[in-house]
Amino acid sequence: MEIAITGTNAVTYPNLHIWDWRIAIYLFLGGLSAGLMVMSSISNLRKGKDVAMDKACCVRGPLIAPLILAVGMFFIWLDVERKFNTFWFFLTFQPLSPMSWGSWGVGIIIPLSFCYGLSTVPEEMRGMLKYDILKLLSAKLHPYMRRLAMINFGLGIFLGIYTGVLLSAFVARPLWNSSILPLLFLNSALSTGAALLIMMAKRPSVKLFFTKIDIWLIFAEIVIIFLFFYGHYTSTGPQRLSIMPFFSFTSEYFFYAASIILIWILFPLALVLKLMEVKEEHGDTLTSSQLFKMKLSAVMVLLGGLIIRLAFLYAGQLSRLS
Amino acid sequence: MPKYAMVIDQRRCVGCMACVVACKTENGVAPEHFRTRVVETVEGDFPKLRMELRSELCNHCDHPPCVNNCPTGASYKKDDGTVQINRTKCVGCKACLAACPYDARYMDPDKGYADKCTFCEHRLKEGKEPACVGTCIGKSRIFGDLSDPKSAVSKLLRENDASVRIKEAGTLPRVYYIRKLGKAE
Repeated sequence: MEIAITGTNAVTYPNLHIWDWRIAIYLFLGGLSAGLMVMSSISNLRKGKDVAMDKACCVRGPLIAPLILAVGMFFIWLDVERKFNTFWFFLTFQPLSPMSWGSWGVGIIIPLSFCYGLSTVPEEMRGMLKYDILKLLSAKLHPYMRRLAMINFGLGIFLGIYTGVLLSAFVARPLWNSSILPLLFLNSALSTGAALLIMMAKRPSVKLFFTKIDIWLIFAEIVIIFLFFYGHYTSTGPQRLSIMPFFSFTSEYFFYAASIILIWILFPLALVLKLMEVKEEHGDTLTSSQLFKMKLSAVMVLLGGLIIRLAFLYAGQLSRLS
Repeated sequence: MPKYAMVIDQRRCVGCMACVVACKTENGVAPEHFRTRVVETVEGDFPKLRMELRSELCNHCDHPPCVNNCPTGASYKKDDGTVQINRTKCVGCKACLAACPYDARYMDPDKGYADKCTFCEHRLKEGKEPACVGTCIGKSRIFGDLSDPKSAVSKLLRENDASVRIKEAGTLPRVYYIRKLGKAE
């Protein structure tokens, strides 16, 4: 028992600090996995694909996506206070709780996405699978690859939206409580997924294909971020106050102001770099300067995605209704 | 079935913090955490100032966001209107803490589950009132059954202009405040 009872009040306990970088990493990796699922599905469903040449997008991408999600899940498990009680997530379904939707959703997505990954492995590449059971599964699932790709596309969209809904469902946190946030997170998820595939792809034509997709996604992301802040600024008092850390250049809120400046530098710069890439003449092989620009812009997009998750997660916990 | 509610008559609060102490003792609340608190706010411009003493606790809302956001069903609404926690089912995901507009919840640092005011559920079962109500020397905290028109809370709510905290959150709290502040002096 404390000797002095002061009570918790605005002075002694000003802000909620419950979720930290572990949740931000989970949101980022969940989004990246969602984007990879969608983009790798597009890779396998589009006409003119060449699995032997586009191994990175058509085979490795689908196989990596569930692994990235599993790593993200590990981070959320690290954040949970009672780690050995997590089985309770799967003994009930709470239809009003986004986290319940998420735990069941991720529980379904990881195995289905893994099945899709296995189905994409063509016969001549099955030797790279270590275990016989995986080779057998891959052979059995291969005929259903297109259907699994379509399902995977839908699941990727669900996962991308879910990472935003997880935060936007809290009426108590005005910064998060916006229907634009799930759209922003979905857009960012797709953009980071495309960026990762640009880095992984070997063929210049595939790299350019995803670069063109990413141009539209980055443009949309810039518009959505602007609308998010504009919507909050023109909304109620608590919502207007909730975005102020991003525009307060004081030492207390330096991280938030820096993050918004970084986002406004990284995305437009990545957009310009990508526009330069698509305008250039490309042969069968890319020059080292072209490769550098592609990779640099992809890294910028990935970094921007991570900054968005970190900044929004922390800033949301500073915001309150009263 | 009773409909439990609490009325906080802010006109009678003297800020003695006896409710905070009684709550911590009764419920063994971990150090540095509180199930109830008395917030002191000062309004106005110097020298014309006035102080408000406002007891805060779980509002046992009729539309509780903590219950809606709980992924395991550990937080639940009882038939008597109180919001309770099944500690066995709690995984410590902290969604309920983020969901509560009143910041009424905290994580138990030793056990890892979310905790909050239960309206002293164990005392209610014995026919007693919550510890904070029993100890309040100014009779600022009044507890009772809203379904009984003769109860003290029903009477107070009928005869006074009561309000709830953060009404715009739409949570329909069961903790009411009777607030009458004098002119700043």
